[in-house]
Amino acid sequence: MSETKEARRIRLETEARKLRRNVWRALRAGGGGHAGGSSSAADILAVLYFHRMRLRPTEPEWPDRDRFVLSKGHANAALGAVLAQAGFIDDALIDRFYQFESPFGMHPDIKVPGVEMCTGALGHGLAIAMGMAMGARIQKKGFHTFVMLGDAELHEGSNWEAAMAAAHYKLDNLTAIVDYNKIGQSGPISELIELDPLADKWRAFGWEVREIDGHDIGEVVDTLDALPVGKDRPSAIVAHTVKGKGVSFAENTYRWHSNNVDDDVHAKAISELGDT
Amino acid sequence: MTGQTLSTTDWRERSANQTRLAFGQALLEIGEREPRSVVLSVDTQDLIGIRTWIDKFPERFTELGIAEQNAIGVASGLATTGLRPYVCAYAPFITARSMEQVRNDIAYANQRVVIGAAASGISLGVAGGTHHALEDLALMRSLPNMTVIVPADVDEAFRATLATLDIDGPVYMRLGGRVEEPPVNDDRDAAFELGRAVQLRPGKDVTVIACGALVEMALRASDALKKENINARVLNMHTIKPLDRDAVLAAAAETGGIVTAEEHRFAGGLGGAIAELLAVENPTRMRMVAMPDEFAVIGPTGPLRTKYGMSAEAIVTACKSLLQ
Repeated sequence: MSETKEARRIRLETEARKLRRNVWRALRAGGGGHAGGSSSAADILAVLYFHRMRLRPTEPEWPDRDRFVLSKGHANAALGAVLAQAGFIDDALIDRFYQFESPFGMHPDIKVPGVEMCTGALGHGLAIAMGMAMGARIQKKGFHTFVMLGDAELHEGSNWEAAMAAAHYKLDNLTAIVDYNKIGQSGPISELIELDPLADKWRAFGWEVREIDGHDIGEVVDTLDALPVGKDRPSAIVAHTVKGKGVSFAENTYRWHSNNVDDDVHAKAISELGDT
Repeated sequence: MTGQTLSTTDWRERSANQTRLAFGQALLEIGEREPRSVVLSVDTQDLIGIRTWIDKFPERFTELGIAEQNAIGVASGLATTGLRPYVCAYAPFITARSMEQVRNDIAYANQRVVIGAAASGISLGVAGGTHHALEDLALMRSLPNMTVIVPADVDEAFRATLATLDIDGPVYMRLGGRVEEPPVNDDRDAAFELGRAVQLRPGKDVTVIACGALVEMALRASDALKKENINARVLNMHTIKPLDRDAVLAAAAETGGIVTAEEHRFAGGLGGAIAELLAVENPTRMRMVAMPDEFAVIGPTGPLRTKYGMSAEAIVTACKSLLQ
């Protein structure tokens, strides 16, 4: 029996809530970390890994798998959590965040099953994802490549080199998702270097753009299901999100871009997120 | 050399004594042998001589425009899908401008990406300091996983390029510009062995270890010293990393000192690599023939080499100073 839309929404929301709980769990293990950007990305990651992407967690190198590159690598707590929930890695690894010789650190490491590239140095992921999409085309493979970009990361010029080239090559098997939480490490993006009108920038570079609420599971599902949104064009999804989403004291503040997390802070966050 | 699709005469003629063109010729051979090979250009189609590749394998060619950072990232992404990218680029820009992409996306991630870096050293002499690559060896050899090769002539460049098919990791291939690089080995069919220095002249008095354009000068220096009854061993150190430790340590033990010669700054190149090894294993008297710690003036490559002491005469002087 196929899953109803409502049942799917509830299932994905549950995974997303679990993901946020796992993020805070990792941060407690590490004594701190990037709560803000991990939490704003959580709903999109849940939809990608538990609905949209074709993956084989027990065969992480499956050549026909869809690819996901976390260009905003500092949200690795969320990537590690989703990989554990999806079965790529042992759940116990979440408790080894930042630990000595752990493969699960602040930024993604290609040696971890399910992680496609070492990222987190910003402005790298879009070019890498473009290479994956071109690799699919050259080898006539049907997989889709997703890359999640941070908003402040878009200040790196290398993104726009890749944006220009991916549109030139009409890579409709490539989707860039901007986790647009509008807050960088030092403050609001609008006070650092303004990005708006962000959707227009992507359009001007030749991308087909959708603007969505990145926390509305139904809207995320519908948008990702409709890919590619433009024929012969790469897709850009500008996902409006809330930094630190789900935990009141962490929401909408650059102070929770990265911060310390002890048992007390962890308990407060978990109590707000609710049970799974 | 099984499966070779080009006759030796053809690729040698087309290479015109320029290593950058020999790299492009070898790519044609690689294209036939390795269906996963792909070539990337950063508006460098003639620099490396890849228009024939583009005609033969259009589906395995990608032009990326003048965007070196993007090119390295794209190459990394392609490599993760099982393809074997060859990036054709200018040495000064692909190393310095996209250093972070080279470090993270291909060295740290250990992807099989080969960078063909033409116009290295001061081969673009008149282009000025912005276009000289005199620190590229220092940058590239400081990266774990990276293999660094400096062919001395077209025979070596062609075979070294073919050898990249068997290297499981990133490769930096340092190539020349539009300057002649005459053959350095009497045996023009000599095999290329990665990480194995080629002894071009025997000698017990002193050893000259050179790479790239300076190999030919080392040979001339050795010939000149011979007339004064000084037997200078000449090693062509075509692989900077991994370094042929055995050849260096043998030279240190068997001869009266070591002179290194390269078209690169003193800091961090071939001389630096050898000094690092010898300082730990067998402190040995050395002289380094290399570019001083300054930016070169504008001028043709030949006179620039002479002005900055990267010449056969400078090697002779350095050898003699070790024997005093």
